[in-house]
Amino acid sequence: MEEIRTAENGVGSAEAQPRSPKSHNRHFRLFGKDYRLYDSLIGLGFIAPALVLGIIFVIAPMVVSLSYAFTDATMQTLDSVHWNNFYNFGKAFTDPKMWNALGNTCLFVVVAVPLQLAIALGLALLLNKDVKGNTFFRWAYFCPVMLSLAVTSFLWMNLLNEQEGLFNGLLSAMGLPKQGFLNDPEQAMMLIVLVSVWQGAGYQMLIFLSGLKNIEPALYEAASLDGANKFQQFLHITLPAILPTMSFVLVTMLIGAFRLITQPMIMTPSGLPNAAGKEVTTTMSWYIYQQGLNYYDVGFSSAIALIYTVFLATIALGLRKAMDVKD
Amino acid sequence: MADTMLLKKRAFAAEQQTGPVRTEEAVGSEAIAAQKPKKKWTAKKIASRVCLYFWMAVLAVLFLFPVWWMVVNSMKSNTELIAQLSSMKTFLPGAITEWFTSYGNLFTSEALSGAIGRAILNSVIYCAITVAGVLLVNSLAAYALSRIKFPGAGVITTIVLLLILVPVETSIVPQIVILTRLGLTQPATRMIGYLIPGLVSPFYIFMFRSYFVGIPKEIEEAAEIDGAGKFRTFFVMIIPLSKAIFATVAIFTFMGAWNDYVFAQYIFSSNVDLMPLQVFLQQVNNAQPKDTAMVMAALTISTIPIAIVYIFCQRYIVEGVSFSGLK
Repeated sequence: MEEIRTAENGVGSAEAQPRSPKSHNRHFRLFGKDYRLYDSLIGLGFIAPALVLGIIFVIAPMVVSLSYAFTDATMQTLDSVHWNNFYNFGKAFTDPKMWNALGNTCLFVVVAVPLQLAIALGLALLLNKDVKGNTFFRWAYFCPVMLSLAVTSFLWMNLLNEQEGLFNGLLSAMGLPKQGFLNDPEQAMMLIVLVSVWQGAGYQMLIFLSGLKNIEPALYEAASLDGANKFQQFLHITLPAILPTMSFVLVTMLIGAFRLITQPMIMTPSGLPNAAGKEVTTTMSWYIYQQGLNYYDVGFSSAIALIYTVFLATIALGLRKAMDVKD
Repeated sequence: MADTMLLKKRAFAAEQQTGPVRTEEAVGSEAIAAQKPKKKWTAKKIASRVCLYFWMAVLAVLFLFPVWWMVVNSMKSNTELIAQLSSMKTFLPGAITEWFTSYGNLFTSEALSGAIGRAILNSVIYCAITVAGVLLVNSLAAYALSRIKFPGAGVITTIVLLLILVPVETSIVPQIVILTRLGLTQPATRMIGYLIPGLVSPFYIFMFRSYFVGIPKEIEEAAEIDGAGKFRTFFVMIIPLSKAIFATVAIFTFMGAWNDYVFAQYIFSSNVDLMPLQVFLQQVNNAQPKDTAMVMAALTISTIPIAIVYIFCQRYIVEGVSFSGLK
């Protein structure tokens, strides 16, 4: 038993200790490192379930989508797959529907992310003031976060229903014309933006709030003694202090927004083609889903997914660089 | 020797508890500090306070009214709901005798053939299996990576970190391809195919690992001297000391599993009997004749568990949120 302790304590002196009498825990060397047989077996046993599942369901899907992008794989013919080199990529780059989906996604991201960021920060700043009833207001703003994306989508679908929805009910009560809402290609995408911001802002608000709570109150006192007004205080104390929080929130929000699929899928199942036949709510993630799972074209779907991954990685890396420079 | 082991375990547990205690003190001193400088209520200050409350209240209404409407209108009959749509009564609950009519309809409606109970049960079962599996698989892996010396530990740790840092477009399509090849999308095996891909998560392994690294090694050494094997040490010593991280991971896993939509929707699209609640909402929403009050009842039911978790497990959620902020 004494030996066990020395082995655990002194990694460097492992060679100096006497050989273990227990044969099941003898030492062996691999790639110049010293291991014990029994510990190694236990360690491998502990990690085995995660390792096996990880290889099958985390690593293999990556390999699949990378390699199938260069093949003619379809969901029905997974057993006989042939290389077709860059055919899928040529098809993708000349596919107006893919560009349309990419455009729709970018529109969503460009409107929803800054809006949600601003609202979340604004709410956090309001709640950070020492006001009675703070807890109530925090719960109120956070409330929509408790709804799942599916519940949010079904709820708003009913609220915005053309015939029996709350909003058209209220509009007609005020003597205003009924709106098409989610059936109107002109309005649908912006409504999806508003619904998503409404559902998600409370979560980022909480993150901002914990960032704001960490700022020393003494800083503000010093600044106000120096004659800085509220806006200057915000600009020179609050903003720099929460910049790391902000960059983290921004990156996670961007990645989430680029993966938008549930809300348009539920609220506008048709993708809502406009007068020119362009679907206005089909997003990139949804288009990848459709090509692979509705049209069974796994090769083409994987190719678009690969293009999209490169696109997203470029944005994520570029953003991280840009923000490192700022710091 | 058992005593030393127990002592160390207690000391560590006590050390952990000082965390929250300290913050409570801090909150207390903040409150005192806030009371000290007695504010003079000038007209300008009162005006700005009123203004602040006004905006906070307006925002609270904007965030709350759809959820309020959902709950209130689930407690009406559909005829009542339609009749009140254009009046302010739409925001008030119905007659008390009608409060549970729509909930009753949900369970007895012919259009749904009473399958809602089954859907709720499915959701509960899927969540229970997922939470138990995720906790076991990822904590064992993390324990091996942080505490046991075995060949490959370094490589696996690097891969886990890489998988967290690199944003890969994890499309559902390659997952389905893998499941199809394994024969796990057949009617009989679908449930397994739905459940196992979610069991392993590099992020949860990372979370557990960061926690285990902070537990003093002496505790395990003491256990080992007492003759406990790694397996017993893990279950008897480590798990009781790591309740906080187990609770955090369990809560996040539960919320993810309960709210899952896109994957479940694809896998179970042709099996109403196996659908979890979130997917079953589509059946309720599409049921003819359209019963909006019944839809609201279903949405409310599917939100209740998440609301309960948010209300009663706030501490762990805040911990999880701040942890993801550290990444």
